[in-house]
Amino acid sequence: MRSRSDNTDIAPAQGIAPAQGASFAVERRELDARTSVIAVTGELDLTTAPQLKWTLIDALEEGHSSLVVDLSETTFMDSTALGVLVGVNRGLDAGARLTIVCSRASLLRIFELSGVDGMFEINATLEHALATPDRRAAQAS
Amino acid sequence: MTPAPVSDVAHRRVSRAHALARVVVAAGACCAIALAPIPAASAKRDHQTASSGGASSATSTSSQTTSASTTGASAPPASSTTTPTTSVPATSPARRHGEPQHGGHASGTSGTTGTSGTSGTSATTGTSGTTGTAGTSGTSGSRGTSGAGGGREAGTKGKAHRGSSRAGAGAGAGAGAGAAKQAQGAGAGGEGSADGSGEGDEAGEGGGSQVEALTANGSRKTKPGKGHHKESAGGTHQKETGKQGKGKAKEKTEPKGEASGATPPVLTEAPPAETLATPAPAPTPAPVVATTLVTPTPLTRAPAAGLSTPVQIFHRPRAVRHRSRARADALVRGSAPLVSVAAPIAGRRSSAVSRGAERRRARPVHGGGGGRVSRLVRTITRIVDVVPGGVRALIAGLLALALALAVRSGVSGLRARRLARQRRELLDDVGLLQAALLPESPERLGPVGTSVAYRPAAGPAAGGDFYDVFALEDGQLAVILGDVSGHGREALPHTALVRFTLRAYLEAGLSPRDALQTAGAVLERQLGDVFATVVVAIYEPSGRKLTYSCAGHPPPLVLGAQPGARTLSPVTVCAAPPIGMGMRTGTRQTVVSLPGYARVCFYTDGVTEARVGAELFGAGRLADELEALGPEASADALLERVAARADARPDDMAACVLSVPGEDDAPLVLTEELEVDRAQAGGARVESFLRACGIGREDVGEVIGSACETAGRAGTVVLEVSAGGGRPRVAMHRDHVAHLHVRRAQAEVVL
Repeated sequence: MRSRSDNTDIAPAQGIAPAQGASFAVERRELDARTSVIAVTGELDLTTAPQLKWTLIDALEEGHSSLVVDLSETTFMDSTALGVLVGVNRGLDAGARLTIVCSRASLLRIFELSGVDGMFEINATLEHALATPDRRAAQAS
Repeated sequence: MTPAPVSDVAHRRVSRAHALARVVVAAGACCAIALAPIPAASAKRDHQTASSGGASSATSTSSQTTSASTTGASAPPASSTTTPTTSVPATSPARRHGEPQHGGHASGTSGTTGTSGTSGTSATTGTSGTTGTAGTSGTSGSRGTSGAGGGREAGTKGKAHRGSSRAGAGAGAGAGAGAAKQAQGAGAGGEGSADGSGEGDEAGEGGGSQVEALTANGSRKTKPGKGHHKESAGGTHQKETGKQGKGKAKEKTEPKGEASGATPPVLTEAPPAETLATPAPAPTPAPVVATTLVTPTPLTRAPAAGLSTPVQIFHRPRAVRHRSRARADALVRGSAPLVSVAAPIAGRRSSAVSRGAERRRARPVHGGGGGRVSRLVRTITRIVDVVPGGVRALIAGLLALALALAVRSGVSGLRARRLARQRRELLDDVGLLQAALLPESPERLGPVGTSVAYRPAAGPAAGGDFYDVFALEDGQLAVILGDVSGHGREALPHTALVRFTLRAYLEAGLSPRDALQTAGAVLERQLGDVFATVVVAIYEPSGRKLTYSCAGHPPPLVLGAQPGARTLSPVTVCAAPPIGMGMRTGTRQTVVSLPGYARVCFYTDGVTEARVGAELFGAGRLADELEALGPEASADALLERVAARADARPDDMAACVLSVPGEDDAPLVLTEELEVDRAQAGGARVESFLRACGIGREDVGEVIGSACETAGRAGTVVLEVSAGGGRPRVAMHRDHVAHLHVRRAQAEVVL
């Protein structure tokens, strides 16, 4: 398993006090040859969303077709981050999928208001998100 | 060149000698003052050389004639008397103007006294006058006198006017000449000569010219010849200067110095000067001059005679001059010994004037210890002498450094200015485009007060927000407000595209939802990776109904009249996605009734995403601020308050506030619309939407079943839930945007 961490203390924007937690981080874990879990900590906005974007793209280029974006520790997400998720999701090859783990009401509200909530499979927990493909695989078999 | 007598020194002095020669010549001229020839030449030179000198000389020339006549009378040198006289005057006048200082000094020094006094007077009076005086003084202190007089006068004028150097040079020459002559003539000549040389400047100029001719030959050669040579040189220099003109002024000065220097050797030298002068004028005269020189007092007169010849020589072509110079040189050589001593001194003095000459002379100067030379000349000479060495290199280096620094600073300055200009241009461009995207709104459209405001982010996120408020037919009012992803300049074209596309569909009569749906389909191909969140609204004054549709955008805040009343809470479930995300948008629409006074605030997420401490500003705080502003609420004031309260604004803020007049009746949501296609009709989203709209669980299934049936036939179905007041009712109808489907259908048929 490979793990890559982009742990920077970049303030989301000048003078902005981090909403929760002082740092933003995107951590990628490879569960298997096809599945990567990308955990985002902190705020996803104009300045940090690109890191998520490139991490997702790296995973896809390495042949990972099942991406799980864990937003459990994400405190804020703006339209730029939504655009990243939507853009990556639209660019997925057939057979690849993007799953989101999010239980925070504020983020769910953002997904709802922006109208993209119907576009993703949003799970409350990582376990549930990881279980889903296995179930599907089991069903398929 | 001809430093036969004096070896090295001679060489150096040669140049000086020239100057000296000139000086001498000048002196000779002065001496000759009586000598008619000088005038003409001097006049010419004066004109050329020093303006003052030239002028004076010119004057002198003319006057010379007159004075010459006068002088001539006074001056023994009858033969050329006239000429001499003229020349003298010329010199003196010149001195007056240019030489003044020197002249003053010289005169003072030389103390030619009587003569000087006279000459001074004459000088003061006029060139001619001077000449006359000179003529008078002529033989004896003619130089000193002339120099003195002219010097003083000139001193006053000359100093002020042209560089004392030039004038001095000229004066020196003239004076020198005069001095030389005088000196020769009178024992005092030494001082007189010195002063004279100073004064000689003018004279030098004037007489210098004459001298030049003479000196030229003699002076250059003079270098070798010390005292005499010097004088002669001085004369030459003067001449040269005169010839050369302004630039040579310095040289002239040198000559003066030399002249002055020559002066010391005075008697002896003086003769040479004359000699030189004489030679210059007429080859033959040279010897004569020598003679003249030899005879001190008589010199004046004699010189005068000799001078007269020289003068003529002056008139002669240059060739003649050269000859004369050659002769003069020869003479100088002969006299070299004497001259040599004086030369050094003169050299110092003169060096100040002309660099080239300076160099040559400078050395001699050092060598020479003559203390009689005028202080000014000495000082200058010393300075010049010093400069040539390492100091020159140092100065050159410093100058180069200064130049380099100046160039560098100039370049950087240019660069800075260019950058500033480019920034201005960019800002202007952005401002221009921004203005096109953020137009001013009328204060009132029908009964509705409108206001719009925009505040760019303090960070890199500026750009992308847009709005438009305009009137439609039937008195309806339309609002478009949105935010295009991406920022800066590249976001502007897309922003404009979205704004004007939406406006066009609204102007065409489509409802907000239809406009968004149509625009979404049309813009999908044009936006590329860009997407836009938009809210589109139409207010219908007659029905007091506000209809709005969002695409990935927060719904507007709607506040009633009653203080403390919370904002209307529309259903946000199943919101439509932004334009450009590849998904069908324009699927939701809300109709709000505004029976009473109401404020409607449209805003971009930059407002609610501003930070207060660690929190988002949020719609709640925005509603509070809007409420606090009261009935006079304007978008600008609202954003002002938000900006004041927020700790950071990472994104642009745009807002539009509508103020609908009325009573206290509270706003009310009339209907929520959701359009779903065949695939979505039976999904969880429809169920959540219906539940959010207040449809009972027991009714949801029936509604969904009906919706699926309708969608199955038409492809899509619009669920219209009327929640206003009592029990919500659901109505279903087919898509309004039929024409788009028709077009698509036709396309399919064609394929």
